[in-house]
Amino acid sequence: MSDRDIALIQEMLDEQDYIADRGLAMAVFLAKSLHKPLMIEGPAGVGKTEIAKVMACALGADLIRLQCYEGLDASTALYEWNYQRQLLYLKLEENSEKTTEEKEASIFGDSFLLKRPLLQAITHHKPPVLLIDELDRADEEFESFLLEVLGEWQITIPEIGTIRALHLPYVVITSNRTRELSDAVRRRCFYLWIDYPSFEKEVAIVRAKVPHIDVNLAEQICRFMELIRGQKLDKTPGIAETLDWAKALVALHQNHLDPGMIKDTLGIVFKDWHDLSMVQESLADFLEGLGIHAKAAPARTGEKNAPDGF
Amino acid sequence: MRPMDSERINLAPAKDLALHRELSANLVGFGRLLRRRGAHPGPGEFCDALSALERIDLKDSREFYLALRTTLAKSREEQEIFDRHFDSYWQVWDRALESNRAATQERMEESDGGRDRRQSGRPASVTISDWLKGNGSAKEEREVAGYSPVEVVTSRDFSSFGTTEIDEMGRLVVALSKILATRLSRRYRHSHRRGSLDLCRTLRLNLPRGGDLLDLSFRRRKRQKLKLVLLCDMSKSMDLYGRFLIQFIYSFQNVYRRLETFVFSTSLHRITSTLKSGDLPEVLLALSSEVPDWSGGTRIGASLHDFLTRHGTDMVDRNTVVLILSDGWDTGEIDLLEDSMRGIQKRCRCLVWLNPLMGHPGYQPSCRGMQAALPFIDIFAPAHNLASLRQLAHRLGKIQGRIGFPRSTRRMGPAAATDRADAPIPEAAAAQKTAFERFGISR
Repeated sequence: MSDRDIALIQEMLDEQDYIADRGLAMAVFLAKSLHKPLMIEGPAGVGKTEIAKVMACALGADLIRLQCYEGLDASTALYEWNYQRQLLYLKLEENSEKTTEEKEASIFGDSFLLKRPLLQAITHHKPPVLLIDELDRADEEFESFLLEVLGEWQITIPEIGTIRALHLPYVVITSNRTRELSDAVRRRCFYLWIDYPSFEKEVAIVRAKVPHIDVNLAEQICRFMELIRGQKLDKTPGIAETLDWAKALVALHQNHLDPGMIKDTLGIVFKDWHDLSMVQESLADFLEGLGIHAKAAPARTGEKNAPDGF
Repeated sequence: MRPMDSERINLAPAKDLALHRELSANLVGFGRLLRRRGAHPGPGEFCDALSALERIDLKDSREFYLALRTTLAKSREEQEIFDRHFDSYWQVWDRALESNRAATQERMEESDGGRDRRQSGRPASVTISDWLKGNGSAKEEREVAGYSPVEVVTSRDFSSFGTTEIDEMGRLVVALSKILATRLSRRYRHSHRRGSLDLCRTLRLNLPRGGDLLDLSFRRRKRQKLKLVLLCDMSKSMDLYGRFLIQFIYSFQNVYRRLETFVFSTSLHRITSTLKSGDLPEVLLALSSEVPDWSGGTRIGASLHDFLTRHGTDMVDRNTVVLILSDGWDTGEIDLLEDSMRGIQKRCRCLVWLNPLMGHPGYQPSCRGMQAALPFIDIFAPAHNLASLRQLAHRLGKIQGRIGFPRSTRRMGPAAATDRADAPIPEAAAAQKTAFERFGISR
């Protein structure tokens, strides 16, 4: 029975065009069935955030997203009173017969409460997927605050009282490792590390995400990326860059890589000046490694749709 | 989709099955092994692991491995430790089970055959604990065998550091850490009189009065501590200053909480937790057994590169001051040093290089390593005695309170690229010259 469950998860991920290995499927399966937050770390652009989206689609749940940044605090993550509206309401009620107590009771009602992602997540009518994106960007104060919420699944608002979670959300936390997250947060989560994909996996991803791509081109692109990731770069391109590049080349009606076209489109892959110039300098060597030779260059100007460039 | 109710976490798993009892014991044994190797699975993780194992196909070894790894390893480093020890540990278990099965079968064949099955599992755990005890300690002995810790410590002779010097050092380190402890945060805190008006709080404060604003509330920026990473060269050429430096980093680590310390000569070692572990003599003893290449050759480039790839992302950010203590004598690849320096400087807020040799009058940073590193250094200062530390405190004071450290030259543009070429190119030479001028070095 259990075997089928993991297979089911894998199937669900497949349906959403997310190519997952077994380790990933296992992590998602355990996080879902044991109802623990899933912490995902890995280099930029390998599809960490995507997992939460795919999970939401696959589970038929709503996705609630909390994007972290430095200085994120309770009022942006949890709830805030709508002060302007409260003031306005009080002005309107100024001449009414209501007593002060009645007024106070009414301005601390639901309609004056601005629900932020965390409160939204625990008051949602069915279990949502809560994505806490790039937690490493938030500061340590927020992390400890988050612990409270993740541990208890209840939020106390002084004016209203304690709000308990109706349904436990499926939590996905991502981090780019710009700083080490605390052990306390790690303790509460299952851990998943996603690395750059293998060649076969990347080809599968490209073919799933860019439907009209030439098989040959997809393989060449992934081969190129594999080679590039072995280099010392400041910003190693992730799958996101691979996909952007593949889409761009398809839009340009390419069915194979040729040196001129690579040179023109390198900016899609490399987002750092230093990397870009380094790759441009030694492009010929890279292409040699791929078996693409400069003689393919005239093919671009001459017959654009040459079926085989090398 | 399955309904949620059926998916409650089972906190008391595995009561009824003999197999589970065996498994949980083995799991705890495995956990102890992991803990000894530097990972930190606790009881909570074991509960998770056991509940996870209930939900998977135990016969599938890959699934077993993945389920344990997902629940027990909580970081990339722990995953690596897990991977290193998983096979050897569970293989022993497998082998023990197999031999047991064979033994039981034999027994069954030769005698009446109807023995209690539970007994067959028992020798397995004995085997594992034996293996843990025997194998583990034997391995550790082998690890230590390469050098003698006692010799290293006595030849260093750290104990002769004068008490007045230690006191002075202590005071200086406290002063330094105070300077580093002040940075404006993006967060605000409530304040009674100063700063800008906090509208939300003010409105809230006055709501009971029907919205007329009588009491005002203010807010101002919180102060935040800078993080510090110390990379200390402990190679042969630094021997003269070793005593002083070790005292320095020891005091620093124990005063400043947000500090990570590494030492390197041919390879990099993280010694943060060792430095915190006790008195100076104990720490020294521990250090000498932990750092095998003490007073060895120098490969600054490789060590810095190692630091950058392993800890660059999680330890260095815009709030981090990186302090490198070295004389710049690098016997390794200069390219690697240059690349690593560029990488570190790009990530950190301020890159400080403390060079003990700079204390000598007429010192020129002419060795290749120093030459390569110079364009990427924000503060270049001597560190050979207490006076130089005092000076450093003063210079670090200048970055106090600023969100970003002002960099006098941009190194991302074309000039940086030409730096990489082997022959000295006008731009590179010019960049170096400005760097020299910046640090007040006459050529």
